[in-house]
Amino acid sequence: MAISRFSYASLNVQDIDASVRHYTEVVGLRLVDRTKTTAYFQGADNQDHHCVIINQRKNAGLDHVGFKVNDRGDLDEAAKAARDHGLAVKEVKAGQIKGQGRGVRITLPSKHDMVLFYEAEKIGYLTGMENPDPVPRQEKLGGKVTHLDHTLLSCEDREPTVRFLTEVLDFSLTEKVVDPTGGIIAAFMSCGHTMHDLALGPGPDGSFHHMAFGMESRGEVIEGVDILKETDTPALEYGITRHGVAGVTTIYFHDPSGNRNEFFNGAYLAPGMPNEIDPIVWQLEEFPRGGFYYESNVPQSFFETVT
Amino acid sequence: MGLKHRGIIRLGYVRIGLNDRALVRARGFYRGILGMLESIVEAERTYFRCWHEAYQHSLVIDETADNGLIEIGFQVRDQADISDFTKKLRAAGLKVKTSPAGKPLKGLGRSISFEIPGGQTLRLFEHMEQIGYATGFDSPDWVVPKELRATPAPLFLNHVGITVPNPKQTVDFLTQHLGFYVSEKIVSDNGRQLLSALLFRMTKDVGGQELAIYPGEAGRLHQIAFTKEDANDILIDGQYLRNDRIDIDQYGPTRQSYGKTFSLHFYDPFGVRLELCSGGRITDPHPDFEPVVWTESNLKKALSYYDRDLNPRFLEPCL
Repeated sequence: MAISRFSYASLNVQDIDASVRHYTEVVGLRLVDRTKTTAYFQGADNQDHHCVIINQRKNAGLDHVGFKVNDRGDLDEAAKAARDHGLAVKEVKAGQIKGQGRGVRITLPSKHDMVLFYEAEKIGYLTGMENPDPVPRQEKLGGKVTHLDHTLLSCEDREPTVRFLTEVLDFSLTEKVVDPTGGIIAAFMSCGHTMHDLALGPGPDGSFHHMAFGMESRGEVIEGVDILKETDTPALEYGITRHGVAGVTTIYFHDPSGNRNEFFNGAYLAPGMPNEIDPIVWQLEEFPRGGFYYESNVPQSFFETVT
Repeated sequence: MGLKHRGIIRLGYVRIGLNDRALVRARGFYRGILGMLESIVEAERTYFRCWHEAYQHSLVIDETADNGLIEIGFQVRDQADISDFTKKLRAAGLKVKTSPAGKPLKGLGRSISFEIPGGQTLRLFEHMEQIGYATGFDSPDWVVPKELRATPAPLFLNHVGITVPNPKQTVDFLTQHLGFYVSEKIVSDNGRQLLSALLFRMTKDVGGQELAIYPGEAGRLHQIAFTKEDANDILIDGQYLRNDRIDIDQYGPTRQSYGKTFSLHFYDPFGVRLELCSGGRITDPHPDFEPVVWTESNLKKALSYYDRDLNPRFLEPCL
């Protein structure tokens, strides 16, 4: 069949203990498992083993992104399609990444690695699978994150990766930012019906711009900003804001190694047949309003700071 | 060829019939009070959509002698899916009716319709005309259009609830023949009897259901639900609706544990139960996806986390 959801991001961090504190006590994820050099986290409302993996390394940044497919046969098919497309593919053995089955690791034209897999170990929702309370207990620390929603990766030339994802892996291009010649500066792509699962923006190949965690209400995003301030977590100077692109309420901040995170709330769907609805097009001169709707100004650091 | 999303791609629309001459009262409510947009207005039929929807319609109302649910429409990927479903459903003993493009509704491609075991008619179509987002495709302001402000102006059709005499039979049909997944279900305390289920095909915001199955009379509608951004919006929408003297369900705004939504139920002038919802389940259209299970003795908590009582009116179908 096809990719069923954006499953997780595997990130490199310089200080694993500080990062575990950040992802549990600030972001509000569940710590599912950890070793001396690796830790696994999941949001309250996802039933799979992890949505974030952190690895102790010398430099921050992305190790890979994980996407789940809903047919075992998709793995071989995707590996072949990627090789035919001229991309490097490596086999990932079952158990090599904790909590998930066999996978294939594809290096995208943007030099980011994408792992496709079929099987995930189940841990259930935070409040359980039987007669569950609809909200977590009050003693839970950190933001009221329900799930990992999407990621934005940076690269020199967005178009080859957009082509591979839309033409081979059936992603839909929902919105894009273009330069005066029509060249793609940023592309927002979905493998389901949310506005984006994977976005691409300008920057050095293989670099990580951010990953975004969903919350159920704008009130919870406000509470999230308060937590960031209370914990002195470095955050975008605008405080709470709204994206013109996607129309969601948002705040950006950084983990202790500088990897950018986002809290957001919004119910923007692009429910259509893959690539049937034309993408929204943002002209470059309109992009400040697309980036930060209230301020209509994109700070220079926003695209320059990547890990 | 694999690596493609196939089968049912999305919930397209719900079509109801109302005994309302020239649909004057219906249009007054759905356009003027609920805040949907009219896409096509005909003498005996009006097509509506939400302002955030690009396709032509998500709600169709026909003028009919009796009020009732007519059909629920789902979009499939392409002609091959239409042919596959036709073969499979006929092999399963169903009567499948084929309709050419443009019939029975404007803007639809070729479609098939059939009756599910619960008595409702579903239509699968492979194409629907687009009108485009109300805010346009060029550097849009994703803000409620001015003409819809001070109404709930929902973002999307979220799900349709139906009542069926034998929930297990209907749920088995929808999962085995149409590829639906169950996100939550209610079973009898001994676990032997399935009483209700929420089914999905889409990974979406405010997710977990495109069809909600409740026990009750065959062929009837339980509710039509629309997506809202968050609970705060829904509290304000409740003010607009009360200000317009709309009949709001006795639960009022509440957290519905079943489906994990923040919801407000209310009734149109014909008694059609409508819902505004936010929140929802995070789902994955994958064979290993595990549903939340409710037992019957927890029904009060399931239906309203705040009220914790059984509201007999809520358990009844509306059309």
